[in-house]
Amino acid sequence: MSAILSADDLNDFISPGVACIKPVETLPKQAPEEINAYEVTTEDKIHRENAPPAQISLTDCLACSGCVTSAEAVLVSLQSHSEVLHALDSQPSIALSYLANNHGAQGQDGKLFVASVSPQVRASLAATYGVSETRAGWMIDQLLGGPEGLASGGKHGNGFTWIVDTNAMREANLVLGAEEVAESMSRDTQSAPSDDGASITTPKKPILSSACPGWICYAEKTHPHVLPHLSRLKSPQALTGTLLKTVLSQRLNIRPDQIWHVSLMPCFDKKLEASREELTDIYWRPSSPNSPTQTVRDVDCVITARELIMLADTRGIDFPNLPRRPLSSQIPFPDSTISAFLSTKKHRPQASEAGTSGGYLHHILQTQLFLHPDSTLTSTRGRNADVVEYTITSSTSPTPIFKAARYYGFRNIQNLVRKLKPVKKSRLPGGRGQASKAGGGMDYTYVEVMACPGGCTNGGGQIKVDDVALKPETAMNQKEWLNRVDEAYYSMTESEGEDEEGDSKMADDPLDNEAGDLVNRISPSYVKGILDHWASSTGIDLQKLVTTSYRKVESDIGRVGGAENERVAELAGKLGGGW
Amino acid sequence: MPSPFSPPNISLPLNPRPFLHLPRLAHSTPPTLPLLATCSSDKTVRIYSLTTFTLLSTITGGHKRSVRTCAWKPNLKGESVLATGSFDASVGIWRRYDTDDLNPRPVVVPVDFDARDENIDEYDEEEWRFAVVLDGHESEVKSVAWSTGGNLLATCSRDKSVWIWEEVGEDDFETIAVLQEHEGDVKCVAWHPEEELLASASYDDDVRLWKEDVDDWGCVGVLRGHDSTVWCVQWEGATPDVYGEVEGQEVKEKWMQRREASGPRLLSCSDDMSIRVWRRNPKEKVEQSRLSIIRTGSSEEDWVEETRLPVVHSRPIYSIAWSKSGRIVSTGGDGAIVVYEERWKQPNTNAENPGVGAQTEGIDKGEANGEPQTNTNGAESMEGVIGEGDATTDANGQGVTNPGHESPLQETEWVVVAQIEGAHGVFEVNHVAWAARRDKNGGVGPEQEELIITTGDDGVVKVWTLDI
Repeated sequence: MSAILSADDLNDFISPGVACIKPVETLPKQAPEEINAYEVTTEDKIHRENAPPAQISLTDCLACSGCVTSAEAVLVSLQSHSEVLHALDSQPSIALSYLANNHGAQGQDGKLFVASVSPQVRASLAATYGVSETRAGWMIDQLLGGPEGLASGGKHGNGFTWIVDTNAMREANLVLGAEEVAESMSRDTQSAPSDDGASITTPKKPILSSACPGWICYAEKTHPHVLPHLSRLKSPQALTGTLLKTVLSQRLNIRPDQIWHVSLMPCFDKKLEASREELTDIYWRPSSPNSPTQTVRDVDCVITARELIMLADTRGIDFPNLPRRPLSSQIPFPDSTISAFLSTKKHRPQASEAGTSGGYLHHILQTQLFLHPDSTLTSTRGRNADVVEYTITSSTSPTPIFKAARYYGFRNIQNLVRKLKPVKKSRLPGGRGQASKAGGGMDYTYVEVMACPGGCTNGGGQIKVDDVALKPETAMNQKEWLNRVDEAYYSMTESEGEDEEGDSKMADDPLDNEAGDLVNRISPSYVKGILDHWASSTGIDLQKLVTTSYRKVESDIGRVGGAENERVAELAGKLGGGW
Repeated sequence: MPSPFSPPNISLPLNPRPFLHLPRLAHSTPPTLPLLATCSSDKTVRIYSLTTFTLLSTITGGHKRSVRTCAWKPNLKGESVLATGSFDASVGIWRRYDTDDLNPRPVVVPVDFDARDENIDEYDEEEWRFAVVLDGHESEVKSVAWSTGGNLLATCSRDKSVWIWEEVGEDDFETIAVLQEHEGDVKCVAWHPEEELLASASYDDDVRLWKEDVDDWGCVGVLRGHDSTVWCVQWEGATPDVYGEVEGQEVKEKWMQRREASGPRLLSCSDDMSIRVWRRNPKEKVEQSRLSIIRTGSSEEDWVEETRLPVVHSRPIYSIAWSKSGRIVSTGGDGAIVVYEERWKQPNTNAENPGVGAQTEGIDKGEANGEPQTNTNGAESMEGVIGEGDATTDANGQGVTNPGHESPLQETEWVVVAQIEGAHGVFEVNHVAWAARRDKNGGVGPEQEELIITTGDDGVVKVWTLDI
């Protein structure tokens, strides 16, 4: 799962699969690269353009140590720090003057570079350089957008025009997630959703969080029976991508493929998420006869905290010594309402009970507590620290109002998917048939699922304790290191705000609203207002913007033609010393 | 060469068809019942009686590909539980109420994991019932093992992972660990007889040890040394049995003390044709001092190669077993079955000891194979070890010292006491196990006779007696 998909040792964690996974996905075509007639085309570059669908022969199969992951390996290698540099050097930025005025940049060539940054990446860098999470964010801003950062070099001196925090859209996800749960609670179970996972608006109970791409990949490949349970909401990364592409292309009058969006994430599997066909412009672009046939991803490239350091190193930028202050001048985002939402810093602090993976479950629990003022929340630790069960009970009734749980880590996910397996009657012959408690039994309404033990701050792309040169007296193990990263994650506090320069906009802080509906420091009505504004101003249905779908990834084994597959599997099994 | 083996006193044709793959044995016979389980590439598991050597039941239809491994759950009364691991990547749990009726009753139990809910109208109280399928491995399951207490089940697979399952309720298993440190196909798992410590052997040439620390299972030791695939790991029984006599009681006591401190030893066999014995270096008792800044909570284990068994096999060694009485049996690609015994070392003998047979085939191979071996013992000296010279009298003169281990620090030595070539004709022997003899004397008494059971690629299960 997540820890694995580093380009360094791709095939070692996910094991060689018995069967080839049939649909090796064809990637959405990359934006055509400007051909420079005088530039020697490197092999590296040829490879990067449109990876063809893989053809798998038996020879390949026998030579391969992980055919299931090979398609993923390609996807991951297409998104690296060098890919970021390549994109920056590919075309000049759209001139800032066009962005600043109100006429947009229609007809202008060039690209608009935008970035989004997850709080876990900031926490990882904060722990590494011993700074606060806010300052780590400023360092990232300086690298991506500042004059001493990426813009100081490269072919066109390009930097990133806008750098946004994925926390904003995470809050949108929280509000929508609480709604999704409320809907599923009020909905009668009579309309059982179909099993294909697609085209359903409300998931089956228990709703399982869908923000973790490692978990989604695993579920689609191995446990299709859980797909109807997955939350239909896009992850914060995907929401941010859709927001940036829709709003910017519409306001600036440019094509979505002129916007190049990199996302900074704690996890390699986010690259796989970014490659999903479901998260491209064909899902939201209004169809018009002259619309381009290519699909454009909402997130063009994902890099991790470690890759960000490599990015700086490759360009010879001294990352630790970049100014630890906000960018001095930023072009205002071309939509003031959304701009205010994206830059709101005041509602960022995270309660430590929320965990380090976005706090989806926490917000849903807080919403339920808000709806039932007399109720109390109790939590019970499961077999290990990565399983926690939450129960909300009202003072007036012994039966719980709401039950939910957190399942992190591969081993715990095993137990979750097993419990969700549809149980058939008389599983066992004879009178003891009902003895099986393994299947079907789950009274949770919501489960927050993450592939990494410890959650997202422990993502595979984060800086590890071994990467950091610590003085011997401060030596620590990975566990202690992780605590430090978690601390940084929770340290996003308002107190830091005092040295945020020029934040006079705080006066019209959206959280000073009068709605009085603050849940978990988030105002659902405010967030809903922003989302409605997003939908109406872009003319796209909100459901299209914020939801996605999942599909079973078919495996060939045991299907028609199974004999041949069995034979291939037998032969593949000879690797590793035979039986 | 005279052989102490009686000719196979019984052979059970497993399947008339030629095998693509191999029938294999359950590692154990159930403690209370004289049963033997074998599994096969024909996707079946067959249960035989060890009192009558007849087929009792055949479990078919559950697994979609070869069944590679099976294991009896220990510590049960009134019911037998069998775990099976298959190349179809699944693990099955099967149950049967024990009955006194162990007469031949070849009943076929059709079970289909997918269609298990249909067509099961008749239910035979006395037959094998499918209970649970454990899914999770991504490719062929190679070995399954129950912990001594029976509450944990370990499984391993070509997907390079070792899984640990806990039975949290009847037929309800939870995954409590997925251990992924091996870099190749994991061939075998085996539980320590007294502790919740698991050993695994892999295509990556390593043996790994696993233990739970707080609530996370992790690797606590890597046993490196084999030059090729480690096919099998086996633990010594709770109490060791060293043969022969030793003069000088303090040597024996010292050895026993050290054995006591280390606990049961671990045995591994490999494609490199060696069999190695590993011993734990007991941890120094940490003194409760005020200087307790140093973390003492480490669960790392320190294991060393204690010795190697005499080299006899000329092809990869697939299977080894350590008997209750302390003997070891090995078999493999050369079709040979070899039995070894640990004896108190004789003084002043070593290579010159005629009984040790330095000129035998075994030792030649050992030298040909012989890399420099490190002396893994501590600094104890080995004064005054005297025996009765009994080692020279073994039946076939095959006693062989372990080349490279003539160290005076070694109180004991392993000698070959029996050997038979071509046990399954020209076929490879894929598995070997010990069982108590139950067909005579009712299987009771202090001097319980031990049988050796082998399965070959010829599809035959053979039962051997040992006359030494």
